[in-house]
Amino acid sequence: MTRTASTTSVRPNKTRPMKIRNGYEVPRGRAWWRHLGWRYIVGVIVIAFMLFPVLYVVSASVNPIGSVASGSLIPKSLTFDYYRQLLSGTRYPFMRWYGNTLLIGLVIALLEVLFSTMAAYAFSRMRWRGRRIGLFTVLLIQMFPQFLSSVALFIIMSEVGKVLPQFGLNTLAGYGLVLLGGTMGNVWLMKGYFDSIPRDIDEAAMIDGAGHFTIFWKILMPLVTPILAVNFLLTFIHVIGEYMLASVFLTDNKVKTLSIGLYGIIEGDQSGNLGLFCAGSILLCIPVVAIFLWLQKYITSGLAAGSVK
Amino acid sequence: MRLPKILGAALALTVALALPGCGTGSSASSDTTKKNSAKSSQSSSSDGSVTRAKADLVIWADQKRADALQSIAKQYGKDNGIKVAVQTVATNLDTNFITADAAGNGPDVVVQGDDKIASFVQNGSIVPVQLSSKEKDALVPEYLKAVQDNGQTYGVPYAAEGLILYRNTKLAPDAPATFDDLISTGQQLVSEKKADRVLSLQVGDVGDPFHMQPLYSSFGGYLIGTGSDGKPDTSDIGVDKAGALKFAEKLSQLGEKGSKVFSRSVSSQNSISLFAQGKTPYLVSGSWARADIEKAGIDYAVSTIPGFQGEQQARPFMSVQAFFVAAHGKNKTLAEEFVNNVVPKQSTQEKLYDAEARPPALKSLLEKKAASDDVTKVLSQAAKIGVVRPKVPQLNAVWDPLGKAEAAIVGGADPDSTMSSAAKTIEDALK
Amino acid sequence: MKAVSPKEAQHPRLTLGRTTSVPELVVKIVFLGIVCGFAVSLIPVLIGLKSWTMLAVLCVSVACILIIYTTKRHVPAKYLFPGTFMLVLFVLIPVIYTVAISATNYGDGTRGTQEEAVASIVENSVERQENKPSYTMSVARGTDHGRLVLYLVDEKTGKIYRGTQQGLTPVSRADVTVSDGKVTAVGGQRVLNALEIDKQGDSLSRLSVPVNKDKGIYIHPSGISEAYTGQSRLIYDKAKDTITDRQTGTVYRPRKFGDRYYYADSAGRKVSEQSWLSNVGWDNYTRLFRDESVRGQLFSTFLWTLFFAIFSVFGTFLCGLLIALLFDEPRMAGRKFWRSLMVIPYAVPTFIGFLIWSTFFNKDFGIINQVLGVGIDWFGDPTLAKIAVCTANLWAGIPYMFLISTGALQSLPTDVVEAARIDGAGPFRLFFQIKMPLLLISVAPLLVSSFAFNFNNYNAIALMTKGGPFASSGEIFGGTDILISGIYRMAFGGSGAQFGLAAAVSVILFLITAVLGGIQFGISNKFEDIR
Repeated sequence: MTRTASTTSVRPNKTRPMKIRNGYEVPRGRAWWRHLGWRYIVGVIVIAFMLFPVLYVVSASVNPIGSVASGSLIPKSLTFDYYRQLLSGTRYPFMRWYGNTLLIGLVIALLEVLFSTMAAYAFSRMRWRGRRIGLFTVLLIQMFPQFLSSVALFIIMSEVGKVLPQFGLNTLAGYGLVLLGGTMGNVWLMKGYFDSIPRDIDEAAMIDGAGHFTIFWKILMPLVTPILAVNFLLTFIHVIGEYMLASVFLTDNKVKTLSIGLYGIIEGDQSGNLGLFCAGSILLCIPVVAIFLWLQKYITSGLAAGSVK
Repeated sequence: MRLPKILGAALALTVALALPGCGTGSSASSDTTKKNSAKSSQSSSSDGSVTRAKADLVIWADQKRADALQSIAKQYGKDNGIKVAVQTVATNLDTNFITADAAGNGPDVVVQGDDKIASFVQNGSIVPVQLSSKEKDALVPEYLKAVQDNGQTYGVPYAAEGLILYRNTKLAPDAPATFDDLISTGQQLVSEKKADRVLSLQVGDVGDPFHMQPLYSSFGGYLIGTGSDGKPDTSDIGVDKAGALKFAEKLSQLGEKGSKVFSRSVSSQNSISLFAQGKTPYLVSGSWARADIEKAGIDYAVSTIPGFQGEQQARPFMSVQAFFVAAHGKNKTLAEEFVNNVVPKQSTQEKLYDAEARPPALKSLLEKKAASDDVTKVLSQAAKIGVVRPKVPQLNAVWDPLGKAEAAIVGGADPDSTMSSAAKTIEDALK
Repeated sequence: MKAVSPKEAQHPRLTLGRTTSVPELVVKIVFLGIVCGFAVSLIPVLIGLKSWTMLAVLCVSVACILIIYTTKRHVPAKYLFPGTFMLVLFVLIPVIYTVAISATNYGDGTRGTQEEAVASIVENSVERQENKPSYTMSVARGTDHGRLVLYLVDEKTGKIYRGTQQGLTPVSRADVTVSDGKVTAVGGQRVLNALEIDKQGDSLSRLSVPVNKDKGIYIHPSGISEAYTGQSRLIYDKAKDTITDRQTGTVYRPRKFGDRYYYADSAGRKVSEQSWLSNVGWDNYTRLFRDESVRGQLFSTFLWTLFFAIFSVFGTFLCGLLIALLFDEPRMAGRKFWRSLMVIPYAVPTFIGFLIWSTFFNKDFGIINQVLGVGIDWFGDPTLAKIAVCTANLWAGIPYMFLISTGALQSLPTDVVEAARIDGAGPFRLFFQIKMPLLLISVAPLLVSSFAFNFNNYNAIALMTKGGPFASSGEIFGGTDILISGIYRMAFGGSGAQFGLAAAVSVILFLITAVLGGIQFGISNKFEDIR
C-alpha cells in the first residue's frame, strides 16, 4: 500500500507515473525540495566533512613518498606499489594477516553480541537481588583506565599458555579470549533497547507457555535486530582496529592481525612514510562497509518486526 | 528428578573425553617446575604458529630488521640443527621485552639500539657479552664503546647511525663548509623562489633534541656532563650552561620570529617529504630518509653537518644497533652463542647491510662498503665524530624538557629564561 | 499432550513449549560433558605445574557452570555467566592488579626482588681476564650423578683440562679425542651436542670452575663452545647486606633515594641503577598533591577535562543524531550509500585519523590555514589548540553516535509513531515529544559511558598535540593536556616508567569518573522510571 503526502487531485497534464520508493510516494517539484532536496544538499556537505580526512589516507596510499602531511591532496606521482605489496604478500604475509583479522573480527563480534545480549536480557527482563548494583558495577568497571592492564593480562595469559598452549601468548585464540573481556561493555547498548520493548509482549508469550529462553531467542531477539546489527558492526570495527593488546599478544607473523602487522612496519621506521599503512587501512575499510551493507537489511527491519501484537 | 540424569550423562561424557586428555596431561606434568627451564615437552599448538615450544632460539626485532634476520636465522638453525624463530613485537618493543623477560616469557635475543641499554640494565633484562679481545679488535672501536657501560660490554653491534646533511644538488650543488653558508645559500634560494624553506630539520610542537643535537653541540652544548671517574654525572646538567645558552640565542635568531630557518610546523611527519618534493634544498636526517628521496627521484648528495662559523664541530648523536642476550631467556647458552659468534661474522653483517645500508660494525666490511657507497661513507664519518648518549635512566628527565624548551625558543620565547627554567625542571626531577 | 488453546491455533509461533525438548537436552549434556572433561584433563597438569591459583580458578569456574546450568534455578545467572566470566577474568583481575601495584614503587628498575637485583648486579660484574686463558669448551655428562663436566682446551697452549665445581684438573691426550681444537669424545662419558647443552642451560650457568677462589677468579662457560676466565668484581656479603668492589674496596649499602633503595656508598654514588620492588603505602596517591607544579594546575586541568568530555559527548551525539535523522527519510534515494559513507571514517584507525587532523591544523602546511589564507598558530596557543582537539574528537566520535541513533530510530515502536502521525503531529512535535524521549531512554547509558571514555581519552590528546602547547618546560600539564595524559606522561617520563604511580593515578581518575558517572546514571535512572 502506498501513502501519499497530499490528496490526489485530477490534473489533466500530469501524465508522469507516480514514483515509489520504499513504499512511499516520492514528491515532485517544490514538495521535492521541501522534503528531500535539502537533505541531499546537507548530506553532501556532511559527507564531505566526514570523508575529507579519509581522502588523505587514500592519497598517501598511492603516493610514493606516502606522507599524510605534505599538504597537497593530489600526489605528484601515482603508485599502486603499496597495494601490490599488500595483495601479493611479497615481503609480509598480508593476506594471512587480513584473514586473521577477518576471522577474529567476525568470531569475536558474534560472541560479544551473543553474550552481551544474553546479559542485557537478564538485566532488562528479570528482577533479582543486586541487579541495580550489578548494572552499575558493569558500567563502573569499564570506566577504569585500562592502561596498565596489558601487564597484568600478559602475566595471566603466559600462565594460561603454560597449561593450554593453544590459548596462550602468541595465539589468536588467547588474544580472542582477552578481547571477550570487553563483552559487558556492550550490555548497556542492548539493555536500553530491551527496555524500550513493552513488557506485554513477554507476558503474552508466557501465557502461551513460552519459557525464558524461547522468549529471549524467538521473540525479543528479532525485535532488536537493528541494535544487534549496530552492536555487531561496532564490535567488529573495534576488534579489527585494536592494536594495544595485539602488540603484546601477537608476535609471530603467522598470527598477527592486519592492524598490528601494519603498526609493526611503521614503528621501526622514522621516515614518516605511511603509504603502506594507509593502503592497509583502506583495505580494512572494505569488510567494514561490506558488513554494514549486509547488516542494513537488519537495521531497517525494525519496521516490519514491530508488529507482534 | 532431572538433576542426576543430566549429571550422570555429563560424567559419562567426561570419562570419555578425559581419557585421551590424560595422555597429554601426564607428559606436560613431568615438566620441571622452574619457570625458566620449562621446555619443549609441552604439546605444540596445531595452528602452525611457532610457539616457544617449537623454537630453540627466539629473536625479537622490529619489522625492518626481522626481514633481514630471517635468512640469517635459518642458516644458523641449519648449521646447528636447531629451530630459530624471528618475531616482531609491533609497538614498544623495548618495554614489552622488559615485561616479557621479567615474566619468564621473553625472547632469548633482542635487537635494539644502544639508547635502550640504560633501561635494560636497570631492569636486569640483559646480561653482558664476553667477547674475546680478538673479536673486539675486529669491530669499529667507537661502535663497540657505544655498547659498553661500566666496563662491561652489553651487546654486539652490527650497524651505526648518525645524522647527516642531504642536499638537493640541483638547488645547492656544493657542500656547505659552515652552517652559516648553508643558511645563506638557502635564503638566497628562497628569495629567488626556487625553494620554500631553507632547511628541513624536524622540530614539531614539543621539539626534537635528537635532531637539534648537531647544532647544540656546535656551540658546546651538552646534556649530562662526565664526572672525574668517566661516568655520567647527573648533577652536571648542560642545559643552562654557557654553550647551551649561546645555542639558544642563535636558535632564537633563526626561529619563527627571526629568519624562519627553523619552524615548529616542520615535524617528523613532513620533514623528509618536504625535501623529497624539492621544496627545501637541505635536509638533516638519517639513513631512513634515503629510500623516499630516491623514490622521489631527487638528485642528492650527502655530507656531514657543518658547525657554525667560528664555533666547534657539529657532533650529532651516534647510535648503534646491537644484539642483546636476554637475562631470563629460556635458551641463554644458544643466545650467547648466536650473539657472540654469529653476529660478528662477515656474512651476517653483510646480509644486514644489504637489508638496510648503514655503516657495519665490522671494521673490514665498513671500509669496503664506505668505499663503494657515499651515503654509508658519510654516515660512518658522522658516527665517528658522534656523541654517544649517556647510558643513565636520568637521560629521559633531560630529554623531554630540553625538547620543549627548544620548541618554545623556535616559537619565539626568550632563549635565556626558557633554557634556565628547563634546567631547573630537570634538576627538580632528578632530586 | 496439551490441548491446543485458541491462542496457540492463531499464533503457532509462540507455542514452543518449555526448554526441555530432546535436542536441547542433548546440547546441554554435550556442553556440560565437554566442560567437565576439559576440567578433569587439566587438573593433573595444573597440579604438576604447581599453579595453585589457576587450579582454584578452574575449580570455581567449573563449579559455577555446573550449578548454574544443570538446575532450573538461577535463571538470570544462565544469561549473565558468559559475559561476567570474561569480565572477571580479563577486566576485573587486571583492575585488582593495578590497585595492588599502586601501593608499591613498581617500575623500571624495581621489577624484581632484592635478591634478584643483587644476583644480577654481581653477575654483571664479571670481567673477562684477557691475560688469563680462554678455552674451547665441550660439555659432557660425568659419572658422578650425571653432573656436567667441562672439557676445556686452552686456546693458546692446546692443553686439555677437565673442569668441575671442584676445580681444574689436567687431562692427558690419551683419554679424549680432540678434533678441530675441541674435545669430541671422552671415554665413559657422553659429550652433549648444541641442543642438549642448551637444555642444560641453567645448570651450566651455575657451573663455574674455581681458579682462585679468594680473588674470585673462575672459568665461566660462554655459549655452547667457549669458556673464559673471569673475575667478578663485586662481592655480596649476605650477612652484612653489603656489596664490595674488589678492586677499589668501596662498600655499598642499601640506601633510600626517593621511593626506592639502591646500593650506594657513603658519598651517595650508586653501584648500579638496579633496585627492587618495595611497598610505599599511600605515597603514590599523595605524590600528585605534594608536587607543587602539579597541584597548581590540577584544578584548571580538571575543568578542561570535564569540558572536553561533555563537549565530546553532546557534540557527537547531537551531530550523530541530526545526521541520522537527515537520512531517516524513506523517500530518500540511496540511503544505503549515504549511510555506508558515514561508517567509513569510523573504520579508519584512530591513530591515522588524529594524525591527519593534526596536519590540518599545521600553521604553515595545514589545509585549514591554506583555505582561510591565514597563518594561525593553532598548536601554539592554548585556546586554539583546545579548539583543534575538540574538532578532531568530534569528527572521530560522530560515526559512533550516528550508528547508535540510526539503530535507535529504526527500533522505535512504530505503533506509537504511527499513531502520532495519524493524529496530525508535525515533524517537530513528532520528534521532540515522541521520538526524543524514547530515544533518550535507550541512549542515556551510552552517553554516560561515552563521557567516561572521553574523560580518560588519552589517545585523542597524545596523538593530536602531545599535550601541548607548553608555556615553559616546567609545566606538567600543557595547554591541551587532560588529567590522564599529563599524569601518565609524568609517570612514564622521568627516569623510566613508574607503574606504581601510574596505577595510583588510574585509581584516582577512576574514582572521579565513577562519581561523575554515578551522578549521570542517577539522572538517567529517572528517565527509566518515568517510562
